[in-house]
Amino acid sequence: MEFFLDRLFDGISNGAIYAALALALVMVYRATGTINFAQGEMALFTTYLAWGLTTKNVPVAVCLVVAAVAGFALGAVSERVLVRPIEKRSLLATLIVLLGLFSVLNASDGLIWGKGNQSMPSLFPNTLQSYVSVFGARLYWANIGVWLMVAAVFAVMFALFNKTRLGLQMRATANNRESAALAGIPVGRILMLGWGISAAIGAIAGVLVTPLTPDSLGLGEMFPLLIYASAAALFGGLDSPGGAVVAGLLLGVAEVMISAYVPAIGGQLQEAIAFVAIVAVLLLRPQGLFGTREVERV
Amino acid sequence: MRTAVSFPGPVLVRERSAAHRSLQVAGIVFLALLAVYASTLNSFRLGQLTVALLYATAIAGLNLATGYTGQLSIGHSAFFGLGAYTTGILVASHNWNPLVTLIPAAVICFATGLLVGLPALRIRGINLALVTLALGVAFPELVDRFPGLTGGQIGLNINVFQLLPPHWTGISIANRFQYYYWLSAGLLAIVLVLCATLTRSRAGLAMKATRDRETAAAAFGVNLAWTKMVVFGLSGAITGVAGSIFAIYLGSLSADASFTLTLSIVLITGLVIGGVATTLGPVIGGLAVYFVPYWTENIRQGEASELIFGVILIVLMFVMPEGLMGLITRLSRRVLRIEPQPPGQGQPTVDGGSSTVIDHHEERNTA
Amino acid sequence: MTLLEVTDLKAGYGQAEVLHGISLTVGQGEVVVMLGANGAGKTTTLRAIAGLIGRRGTVSIGGTALRPGVPGEAVAAGLSLVPQGRGTFTKLTVQENLLVGATKRRDKASVAADLDRWYHVFPALSARTKQTAGTLSGGEQQMLAVARSLMSRPSLLLCDEPSLGLAPLVVRSVFDVLREINAEDGTAMLIVEQNAELALDLASRVYLLEVGEVVTSGAAADLRDSDTVRRAYLGY
Repeated sequence: MEFFLDRLFDGISNGAIYAALALALVMVYRATGTINFAQGEMALFTTYLAWGLTTKNVPVAVCLVVAAVAGFALGAVSERVLVRPIEKRSLLATLIVLLGLFSVLNASDGLIWGKGNQSMPSLFPNTLQSYVSVFGARLYWANIGVWLMVAAVFAVMFALFNKTRLGLQMRATANNRESAALAGIPVGRILMLGWGISAAIGAIAGVLVTPLTPDSLGLGEMFPLLIYASAAALFGGLDSPGGAVVAGLLLGVAEVMISAYVPAIGGQLQEAIAFVAIVAVLLLRPQGLFGTREVERV
Repeated sequence: MRTAVSFPGPVLVRERSAAHRSLQVAGIVFLALLAVYASTLNSFRLGQLTVALLYATAIAGLNLATGYTGQLSIGHSAFFGLGAYTTGILVASHNWNPLVTLIPAAVICFATGLLVGLPALRIRGINLALVTLALGVAFPELVDRFPGLTGGQIGLNINVFQLLPPHWTGISIANRFQYYYWLSAGLLAIVLVLCATLTRSRAGLAMKATRDRETAAAAFGVNLAWTKMVVFGLSGAITGVAGSIFAIYLGSLSADASFTLTLSIVLITGLVIGGVATTLGPVIGGLAVYFVPYWTENIRQGEASELIFGVILIVLMFVMPEGLMGLITRLSRRVLRIEPQPPGQGQPTVDGGSSTVIDHHEERNTA
Repeated sequence: MTLLEVTDLKAGYGQAEVLHGISLTVGQGEVVVMLGANGAGKTTTLRAIAGLIGRRGTVSIGGTALRPGVPGEAVAAGLSLVPQGRGTFTKLTVQENLLVGATKRRDKASVAADLDRWYHVFPALSARTKQTAGTLSGGEQQMLAVARSLMSRPSLLLCDEPSLGLAPLVVRSVFDVLREINAEDGTAMLIVEQNAELALDLASRVYLLEVGEVVTSGAAADLRDSDTVRRAYLGY
């Protein structure tokens, strides 16, 4: 029982991580209609920034705020300068530009902060003893912190999109930019805001998630996370924050349970599994579990 | 429409006319002479050229999927690696003749490409890009996971003696770099002809229709699913075979060094530099992505090239989305223009140069 | 009193100039119709006025000149465009579509009152307030588009081919509603149409566009009543 719970908490923790990043992806999609392909790298960059500050003895909480603000700026500027001028050309062009940004950010991480792996200090007490005992299994404070963050972001996103005028404007902009402009919605500002908030979410996720494993702040850290988070976002339906959270948690739990109870699969094969899982879901239900089906009129 | 000109306008040549044919033959002869000249260079240069031409071939493969059919693939490093490791394993562990391994390599990569293209049935651009990203990231991890088969993180070594030029080529061991060079040049030539034929055929039209106006293409009966899948398979196979020859040339493989996501980004950069959806673009691109980092190596190691490639990708999309080949084509049109035949005579011609995948917005106006 | 004044409007897409210097006016409370064949530039004219595309020339509403390419300014000046193809927010509900139309308004109470009014005028919509707008029929979406545009209480309504793709009975009701709104609220209208007959019935003045230029203009009644002119330009 204890083993099961331990694994369950592990899975939910991992799942919360995927959910956190997935929420960022859903945020930008719901607000603007596009996906920020470079999301993972933006989060990594801001996490490195936060880490760099912690080495100068800045308190983690302050670093978190700085990272969030930097993330917001990075997202907003990217939208305005890189994405908007290119979008009207074609999807492929946009993807390529974002791929370029992806590359630039990743390389900059290495150039500015070095290629080795670093450990990120946590916002919460983060020693081996910092846990709460639940039926004999350990629930670490740092993990609880991530769950709380995910819950908070989800609640804010839900309220934003469904209860506020701004949220309605965002959904309208994502649905039909021209009609939104005709209604007087400041489309440019909305787009920048959407990307900015999304990158800020990613930044916060990065700062909270990286401390969970020592030595995990590295150049390649984001790739598998991005894939899992994208899978979660897609499973849930790109425009459903609730779906992303549920899917992320399911993914996390499934991943841990499978490698715990079926030892033959483990470690590196997880990426392959995620890959296969993404493909399977997209084939069977392209709109994900909770998303809305897109009707395309020629 | 002619205003007063101070210089003669472009020379017009009818397609398929005698003049056109002679120009084409002259072009091929020129390239052949160039290739032969290159084979006289020293071993070091030959080695460099070999890799550059292999990159060009890999990019030509990528071009089919991304350039002509509009499916961005960030996972082609996996095909390159898959081909390389297939050859590596078959030669090192099972003593196959290296050249024969090209066949299973092509088949395996084709099948993998089909599998990856399968999701293309239902998903749009960004999702496919994510799937290919997963592929590109997963490949080195998978290689590391099975050290018994692939040598894992230590790498795979092939005995040099198995990779020497076979007797019938008449090339001595000392000149073996010429052999590798001719392998890569020959492969590139074959692939270019294959791609050129494919893209100018009916199938090529289907590909471009899929790229430009998916829903309309479907309405016209272009079988989208098949087109995307098969093209992806072909694309993977071509890149994979380039990888095979890479293994033959290099003799020692390490996934973490050569077949990571970085390679995928390099290939895409080469594609964009050369010119998306052009026949010769991949050649320019391959040469560029090999030699530019080599020339700028003095600036910084490793990460700097990734940074430069990222910046190049962004800048090119803004400034020169049609790539160098597109630019060259545009400029050369002022001097020489190939005019299509009037309709009703022979096969429909497809203008490969004027509409690029990158620039759609002129198509969208309505009265 | 002139509400909309367009002088020497030039606009196009990319390298191609579609409009070669259009001038027109719409008076307060007036209904003006723009006729012309496909490709004449009617839609381009409306889009240029609404600020969706860049342009040269002047466009002023109520005496204030508008900057080109800024849709927000046109809306703030009291203009609203019902685009060709309806421009429905397909993923939002009917009610949300209407609320988006009112997004620039601060007065919650009168927004609510307007919602009631339009639900009354368009009963088909009131039966479907929570329905996703993408699932509505063409006619219903057209009603929704008109109502959405009116939610901003514009002084000038631009309509781009309201009859496009609709059954004749539905088209008739759309025009009936437009007539009603013009009569009750005094909203001026600039309507682009291919269906000349219905449009001429509603309008007081007409502009005829051909290949990006105004070739003739005058009172709608004259065009309607003069056989030669009508046959020459409209073919019936």
